Amino acid sequence: MIGKLFKSDLLKIKRKGLLFLTILGPFGVVALQMVNYGVRKGYLLDQSDNDWQYYLLNISTFTPLAIVLGIVILTSFIASIENETNAWKQLMALPVSKLSVYLSKFTVITLLLFLSSLLLMVFTLSYGLTLGLGEDIPYIEILKYSFYPFLAALPVLALQLWIATVSTNQAIPITIGVVGVIFAYSAFVLPDWMIWKWPSLMNQWDKPFINAFLGLGVGSILYLVGMMDFNRRDVK
Amino acid sequence: MFSVIRSEWYKLRKTRILSLLFVGPMVGLFIGLTTNNDNLGGEINQWYTKLLFMNLTYSLLFLPLITGVFASMICRYEHQAGGLKQLLALPVTRGQVFAAKYILVIGLVMVIQLLYLVSIVLVGMIAGIDDPFPMEIVWKSIFGGWVATLPLVALQLWMSMLFKSFAAPFAVNVIFTLPTIMVVNSEKIGPYYPWAQPFSMMYISDNTNDLFFVPWDQLLIVVGGSFLLFFVCGYLYFQRKPV
Repeated sequence: MIGKLFKSDLLKIKRKGLLFLTILGPFGVVALQMVNYGVRKGYLLDQSDNDWQYYLLNISTFTPLAIVLGIVILTSFIASIENETNAWKQLMALPVSKLSVYLSKFTVITLLLFLSSLLLMVFTLSYGLTLGLGEDIPYIEILKYSFYPFLAALPVLALQLWIATVSTNQAIPITIGVVGVIFAYSAFVLPDWMIWKWPSLMNQWDKPFINAFLGLGVGSILYLVGMMDFNRRDVK
Repeated sequence: MFSVIRSEWYKLRKTRILSLLFVGPMVGLFIGLTTNNDNLGGEINQWYTKLLFMNLTYSLLFLPLITGVFASMICRYEHQAGGLKQLLALPVTRGQVFAAKYILVIGLVMVIQLLYLVSIVLVGMIAGIDDPFPMEIVWKSIFGGWVATLPLVALQLWMSMLFKSFAAPFAVNVIFTLPTIMVVNSEKIGPYYPWAQPFSMMYISDNTNDLFFVPWDQLLIVVGGSFLLFFVCGYLYFQRKPV
């Protein structure tokens, strides 16, 4: 059942530009650094002894913002596909459970975000190679900087999907998302428990993997809470 | 014309937009109270440093993004269940409808700017700033920020008419707004990028000769030019839109 639902959700997002946005996100993050390094490469290389690490740090200033905004756009999109044509009712009239409908939508967005993280890794590595940042290519670090923010952003994904699917007015999830991106932008002043800080990989212990693990754990909990609430509500 | 605006307002009043307006000052309070700048030199007016930090996040990200939400909000009614058909069956021209929606959105942006002003004063009271309040400078940045959003609202209104969903115009908004963080660092591109104008217009500087913090020619060419382009395109699109 879940397989067929998943397939139908993939069909629904076809030709809506979601895949384009999924590619544009990581490309934009790296493209901004192309501009940055294109304009003042000499200055940026003088800033640090470890050029690769500094380059990754520059990349990671935009990753959390792009991920949070990307989540807001994708979750609102997938909810409004059903909202616009009042299709929730028709979808629920099928012999499927509400839990699997929710799971299927969550899986589609997680997959898109995973794809964008993968592309982020590819773009980061390939542009970094053209810059001549040194012989020791930190493959493990690139992997971390590409996938940890994705894992750390799972609670934001679970929260936004929950709000988007239960709101008939999509202004609500989008406004909450705008506030979320302000939080993500001010990550350095936020306390460690706020979920919008986690994609920045900052914490008081200076160990990025903590954010990734917290993201997985809290993301799962928020996902379950959202799914239960979605299940409980009446379909209008 | 006035009655068209009033009917737009009635439609809007029943949605939850009024609570969304308070997100602006909330964000202002959040930024203002989390920035700690007590030890930044004694002689400079403390309001300046507070304003510098608050306006940065507010004008760079929040203001351009939230104006897009307002623009989508005002088109929501027409996208639902053929509302546009009913609206245009009334003895109103399409131009009037477009202009009425635009005027209402910029009115809402003005309200959110004024609420942000309130949050600046509140932050100052909570932080215990006893320096004289730089009224002229604050007004300049509040009003200047509003003027700078005029072209952005026009583009977002056009996009919101074009797309049914909230997410699509928001995606367009994000694509142009996010690079601003990088663009404002550049002295060459910064002054010509429409999405960087709210930042430039709200940025506190010593240049008090002009009406705003940016020179007149930049204001006229970049803000005025992009406003004309977006407004005329949106207007023409709406004239031809199949209902």
